[in-house]
Amino acid sequence: MHPEIARIQSMLDEQGYVADEALATSVYLAIQLRKPLLIEGAAGVGKTEVAKVMARAMKTDLIRLQCYEGLDATTSLYEWNYQRQLLHIRLLEQSDKSLEVKEREIFSEPFLLKRPLLAAITHHRAPVLLLDEVDRGDDEWESFLLEVLSDWQVSIPEIGTIKAQHIPYVVLTSNRTRELGDALRRRCLYLWIDYPTFDKELAIVRRKVPGVNGQLAEQIAAFMQFVRRTKLEKTPGLAETLDWSAALIALHRDHLDRDAVEQTLGVLFKQRDDADLMRTQWLDHLLRGVQEVGQEPPPRNQQTIDRVADRVLPKR
Amino acid sequence: MTVATDLTTHVVGFCRALRARGLTAGPREAADGLRALAAINVGSRRECYLALRTVLTSRHEDLPVFDEVFDAYWNPPTANNEGEESAPPQLAGLSGDGQLKTPTLLEWLDEALQPQGEEALPAYSAVEILTQKDFSTFSADELDEVSRLVVAIAKRVATRLSRRARTTAHGHQMDLRRTIRHSLRRGGEIVDLFYRRRRIRKTRVVLLADVSGSMDLYSRFLIQFIFALQHTLGQVETMVFSTSLTRVTDALSEADLREALEHVAKEVPDWSGGTKIGHSLQTFLRRHGGTLLTPRTVVLIISDGWDTGDIDVLTDAMKEIRSRAGRVIWLNPLLGSPGYEPICQGMRAALPYVDVFASAHNLESLRHLERHLARSIRK
Repeated sequence: MHPEIARIQSMLDEQGYVADEALATSVYLAIQLRKPLLIEGAAGVGKTEVAKVMARAMKTDLIRLQCYEGLDATTSLYEWNYQRQLLHIRLLEQSDKSLEVKEREIFSEPFLLKRPLLAAITHHRAPVLLLDEVDRGDDEWESFLLEVLSDWQVSIPEIGTIKAQHIPYVVLTSNRTRELGDALRRRCLYLWIDYPTFDKELAIVRRKVPGVNGQLAEQIAAFMQFVRRTKLEKTPGLAETLDWSAALIALHRDHLDRDAVEQTLGVLFKQRDDADLMRTQWLDHLLRGVQEVGQEPPPRNQQTIDRVADRVLPKR
Repeated sequence: MTVATDLTTHVVGFCRALRARGLTAGPREAADGLRALAAINVGSRRECYLALRTVLTSRHEDLPVFDEVFDAYWNPPTANNEGEESAPPQLAGLSGDGQLKTPTLLEWLDEALQPQGEEALPAYSAVEILTQKDFSTFSADELDEVSRLVVAIAKRVATRLSRRARTTAHGHQMDLRRTIRHSLRRGGEIVDLFYRRRRIRKTRVVLLADVSGSMDLYSRFLIQFIFALQHTLGQVETMVFSTSLTRVTDALSEADLREALEHVAKEVPDWSGGTKIGHSLQTFLRRHGGTLLTPRTVVLIISDGWDTGDIDVLTDAMKEIRSRAGRVIWLNPLLGSPGYEPICQGMRAALPYVDVFASAHNLESLRHLERHLARSIRK
């Protein structure tokens, strides 16, 4: 492995993020080629986390823009601080400054509210700019973003053009509720984060859940692998795995049984229908799967899971 | 050849192979690919794979294709010296020697391209009769006339649609920047308020037209109708399908349309065969669904619903289209014939996911489309 990729992997690792080689390579190349990194994948697989960890690992700041429908240039780039301008106009009332001077005064940098995009451009060092859930923004905003990402400069009529001092490291995440345009995609490096494999999920649970014993961690990881093979409205991701593990620990459970799962079902399944379906149709199969995995000879890995799933889960 | 130029040739060739499979791997991507390889340890196959993958793919659907091409290209089964010639085998199928043509559609498009002057409508009574008549009952020489009428009606509908957009646009937003700047002149007293006019959002239309056998004629008029409306609507995308799906949007707006369509006819293996609606819709979703389907999109499907493919595929595709588009309109010309019941399997499977089920068998019914096109959002 390239020493830099290995270094990034271990940096991510130190920050508590279990990163595979693909992720480390993408992050490394995003830094090297200075291209935005577009990360897609289902909800709760740790997309946002990558940017956070990247900032920490590079010891730089993270500037985050949460996208939503209706997000526009004003809320993402800059806005004038109108209240402050109004106050200032009052203060200037008695002064004999000319209109032009007054105008220049209130449309100057101190009255500028920097929103994330402008903040990232004017930051004193290259920050990590996280554009979270870009798919939620509308396509007009997307074209605007594309412009910023290609020019790295912003023109404010009253002040002039502000050029980026340092080009930020950009991470975009998308849950694919709306597909992004080709132009934006082409500008970015691409990384797809899948649901974790059994091995990876087990490593993450062991690492991130304090007080979890070996058996429970393995049972949790196996259970999650089986859960994702069922057809649900909303498949739980890694975030749910961790929440659920914490819930089990808080209830002093040291192994999985029907009782334990039923008690904590709400943590895993946010949709009522999913929880019902789980309780009535799937739970017995999944628990049997978990049990059978435990009876398999070590080392237990993804192949073990695939084998047991074939045997235990009903065929659709 | 030096190692460097050799690598360049290979990366460029690899990009070409990816492009042939529908990935957007142009010269810029190739250059990025080379930069990426320069930044890693090219001795490691896995590292090269991961680096090229992150640079050259841009959506999840690209990944399996990338894997396939990567294996075929960087691991050619034959001798290495063949270089970029060892493109994936599947590409051969495109050339197709059978002279498959779509005479009606081709000819019509030819005509549609002729500049359409400000032609007056024929006398009203004659129009009235024509509007009620099923398209399929027109004689060949009447078709020209109908074609002109379709455009004329489309123009009227267009005017009405845009008028409606203007009057409903009273959503005003305060323009604080202008208001404050103006207040300076009045010593900070806000006297005049300034507003920003909200942009009018136009409806985006995706038209999926069945051009197999008996549907060809109906589709032809609908495509023409929607095409004539495109300046009023935000964006119109047109795809035709029979056993497979082809995008004709660009062909409709280009001058060398005929050529484009001939090319299409060559690519589509079985133009007048049975209809695989489900399969075609799946293709649409995979290739274009991402960029075209938004909550402001109206999906317009014209087909009689006779699907010779897998019905489950159709159901899944319709379900997804319905969940991602603002409105789904299904036009079935058979609905115009008295006593028609949507009993064929394909139609029955699709109906639960359709917002508007209407006919498009005559001019009158095209006119009625107006009210459905005005709204993109499901009520």
